[in-house]
Amino acid sequence: MSTPVLEASPTAPPERPARRRRPRNRLGPPWLFVAPALLCYGAIVLYPSASGLLYAFTDWSGLGDWSFVGLRNFDSLLHDDRALGALRNTLLLTVAIVVVQNGVGLLLALGVHARIKSRMLLRAVFFAPVVVSPVMVAFLWKYVYNPEPNAGLNGLLGAVGLGSLRQDWLGDPSLALWSVAAMVVWQHAGYSMVIFLAGLEGIGKDVQEAATIDGAGPVKRFRYVTWPLLAPATTINVMLSTIGGLKLFDQVFAATGGGPGYATETLSTVLYKEAFVFGRYGYSTAVALVLALFVAAVSLVQIRYLRAREDQT
Amino acid sequence: MTAIDGSGFMTGGVSRAQFLRILGGLAAGAAVPGLLSACGGGSGDSDSLSLVGVADEKAPLDLLTKAYTDSGSGITFKTSYAPTDQVQTSLRAQLGGGNAPDIHALYPGSGSAMSTTDIAKAGLLADLSGQAWTSAIPANLKSSFQYEDKVYLFSSGLTVIGTIYNKSVFAAAGVQIPKTWSELIAACEKLKQAGKVPLALGAQTQWVTQLITYALVASHVYRDTPDFDDQMIAGKATFAGSGWKQSMALYMELRDRGFFNDNPNGTTLEQQTAMVGTGQAAMAVQVAPLLPAFRDAATSSGDIDMFPFPSADTAEQVYTWSGANVGIGVHAKSKNKDAALKFVEFLGQQENINTWCEAVAAIPLKRDASSKVDPALQSFLPLIDAGRVAPVGQRWPNPEVQPTHFTVIQDLLAKKITIDDGLKKMDEVYRKSS
Amino acid sequence: MNRYRPRTLVLELLMVAVGVAFLFPVYALIVLSLKDAGQIASTPLALPAPPTVDNYTEAWSAASLGSALLSSTLVTVVSLVLLIAIGSCGAYFLARRATRLGYGLYILFLLGIVLPFQLGMIPLYNLFSKAELIGTPQALILFYTGIQLPFTIFLYTGFIRALPADYATAALVDGASHFQAYTRIVFPLLRPITGTVLILNAVFIWNDFFTPLLYLGGSDHETIPVRIFAFVGQYVSDYGLVFAGLVLGAIPILLVFLLLQRYVIKGFASGLKG
Repeated sequence: MSTPVLEASPTAPPERPARRRRPRNRLGPPWLFVAPALLCYGAIVLYPSASGLLYAFTDWSGLGDWSFVGLRNFDSLLHDDRALGALRNTLLLTVAIVVVQNGVGLLLALGVHARIKSRMLLRAVFFAPVVVSPVMVAFLWKYVYNPEPNAGLNGLLGAVGLGSLRQDWLGDPSLALWSVAAMVVWQHAGYSMVIFLAGLEGIGKDVQEAATIDGAGPVKRFRYVTWPLLAPATTINVMLSTIGGLKLFDQVFAATGGGPGYATETLSTVLYKEAFVFGRYGYSTAVALVLALFVAAVSLVQIRYLRAREDQT
Repeated sequence: MTAIDGSGFMTGGVSRAQFLRILGGLAAGAAVPGLLSACGGGSGDSDSLSLVGVADEKAPLDLLTKAYTDSGSGITFKTSYAPTDQVQTSLRAQLGGGNAPDIHALYPGSGSAMSTTDIAKAGLLADLSGQAWTSAIPANLKSSFQYEDKVYLFSSGLTVIGTIYNKSVFAAAGVQIPKTWSELIAACEKLKQAGKVPLALGAQTQWVTQLITYALVASHVYRDTPDFDDQMIAGKATFAGSGWKQSMALYMELRDRGFFNDNPNGTTLEQQTAMVGTGQAAMAVQVAPLLPAFRDAATSSGDIDMFPFPSADTAEQVYTWSGANVGIGVHAKSKNKDAALKFVEFLGQQENINTWCEAVAAIPLKRDASSKVDPALQSFLPLIDAGRVAPVGQRWPNPEVQPTHFTVIQDLLAKKITIDDGLKKMDEVYRKSS
Repeated sequence: MNRYRPRTLVLELLMVAVGVAFLFPVYALIVLSLKDAGQIASTPLALPAPPTVDNYTEAWSAASLGSALLSSTLVTVVSLVLLIAIGSCGAYFLARRATRLGYGLYILFLLGIVLPFQLGMIPLYNLFSKAELIGTPQALILFYTGIQLPFTIFLYTGFIRALPADYATAALVDGASHFQAYTRIVFPLLRPITGTVLILNAVFIWNDFFTPLLYLGGSDHETIPVRIFAFVGQYVSDYGLVFAGLVLGAIPILLVFLLLQRYVIKGFASGLKG
């Protein structure tokens, strides 16, 4: 294990006596380290969100006057079939995204971490979708999802003899949500890959080599060495994709607008429509609050579990 | 391992002094643009007007703002255009935050996020009533421009819903332009036999779903009951108990006869356009502003033409959907209200109305010898001049009715609900207080 | 493990195949940008016949992409510097303060990732409006720094926690200040995650459309997405121009990504970790 060497500072004592000196501050860094972050975050996120919350208890349309209505918005929410259906869609979408996106991302990261010749180019290739704006991703995928038998994905399936698998990808209500999920996974797999890569880069070669010398094959090496050491990256990826999935808006709205019918309506699309299309800003804030609480609850549970797992390694 | 090599922040350590110096430099760097913009003159300049429009208005407004500046008015413009959804959202945020542009996009009537009635009700629009061009507003469209008898919307003209079709496909199948509903059915049959999709429908793009309903409702509801909107608002009529039911039944008859492309719910607007353009499909029920897009998709732009949708049993009974184009309004609390109002007067001049309408394939409010109406729209002029028009959907009481209609049609096309259920839902939503 | 074995070749071929499949929508984007309006409408996915760069020249001039590029770069770079400086310091604090207060603050920051953007959108807009910052790049820079801090801190904290505390502690024992310990020892060790934070934030800020529209629409500081999406209408869109503009806008970010990847890898060629 190598230790970093501090550049010799002119004020350091030339030779260290044997007795101990009390470390500068045992508890950790001073508050100054976090003060700027707290200030900026408080002013830009916390304070406006808190004052925005107020509207959840009003009937504001977004323009003009409003009046307090107490908990009426929350009561309506409980009886809103569309919102409850959207909740179901949101959960399904999120689970699909978290599992598949991170699975694919991990495989890609392992693939481009290996010493293959084209790894730099491939990294860019897999990351390229992340760079395209979500609205445009949806637009491009609509070409792919063209229901015509000889266009897009259907055309490809036909060309390789899998014509029977052709579908109305975005128009079939039972399929549309999964088509959107596939699109999101495509766009964000590179994102997960990059984070897993950062984790992989941080695992020293000597650790890997030690395992190889000990006789472990690649699978065993992965399971007992790599995977546990990837815990921080896994935590980050799982949490971010969960939160991202629960809040997903741009791609869904641009791809289907929540349709066909209400088949791909998610809590975020409901939120957006209530706020900016239906003119029920107060109600939409109530939805936003419920969504935030829900996401927070899920995240808290997740982070406790994942952090404990991190600490075990 | 972490030797300082002097190249700065990332490649090694940095002394505290260096770090603070860097941060200071950045803060100063961020302040420089602020200084520049302060020197360059801020907003609130009396000779600069801010204008936010939807992207569909960009072509005409680019021409007209330039013309106004060049005419020696002394006014320059700060313009911003964006897709419809984003403009609606950002404009509402700006209006709600008290920071709206001098002139902004405005939709006719009521029942959408940026419709004249909703914004005027909140006291955020300037009164345009005295201006010269307002005398050209057709009587049956006054409700689209006004709120409480005052004009708040400037719109250069009318757009129509009709049938865009591919002439060579018609010719190859030996089909003539249908003038009645039964002729339409016969034509569709013939086209289907010839292996073409008779009516391309891009229902994946949600706003496309409403077009056929509106085209049918114009004849089946508004011809006999021109004050249907007033009746509905007063609670004396419902969707379910009116010609809406028959209209939807006819819409779905087209579905059941297989006249649409397979999978309309998965077909986008662009795909619908491509189908007609490339001759795979014969017709598409669409709004006039789409004509340039169809022409682009066609092998020869002369192939594309348009005729009124034959929504009735005899040619004389056909009413067409026609409504005011998306236009602009002046912000009531604008600091440059007078200059903005003068610009609207300029827009209302005949030649400028002509320019605007030519750019978006619309029919001017008032036509003169120099008005160039798109040749494809010629067949609509007799109907418009005879008043056989209905602006369906520009007087919904709340903005949820229209999107509900979209989802009802998508569910109908997917055969997930019945027409009665769909109309019931629309009635429920209509009754909701906003 | 460093030898290029047959097994590695198989892996390489497999990854290349996946890469090709992955690229299809990007292929569509590039192909569409090289076509005229007619071909875009009628045969979108076929190869352009013949390819044309008119869309690119038109995008550059009609959408004034040159100045938009400057605006986007200014906003992105300054926001990134602020985010990395403030965020990493904050994360270091949160990772090393093993107290309940430290954990509580961490959760407070995480709240920022959880909260929907719409919640605070209008109050924040009003705030900037009162401060007369609407229409300035500073507003946007402050905005991005604020909303991306939770994400940045989240990423940094996770990685700092995984670093052994011994190095920094040794430095502290040696008499270094916390600041010195951080900048000279800990921060350089965070290279991989700094590179990651940088590129992920850069992509988000560079491509963000709505907030720049809201804050900078109509001003001289419009960013690339705002300029490009002005050509996307409900009825008629100049897709050729839009796609060309998107490709032009994506190139800087991809370049940054490639450069960062090299930088990140270089930091660990020496096998610093143990």
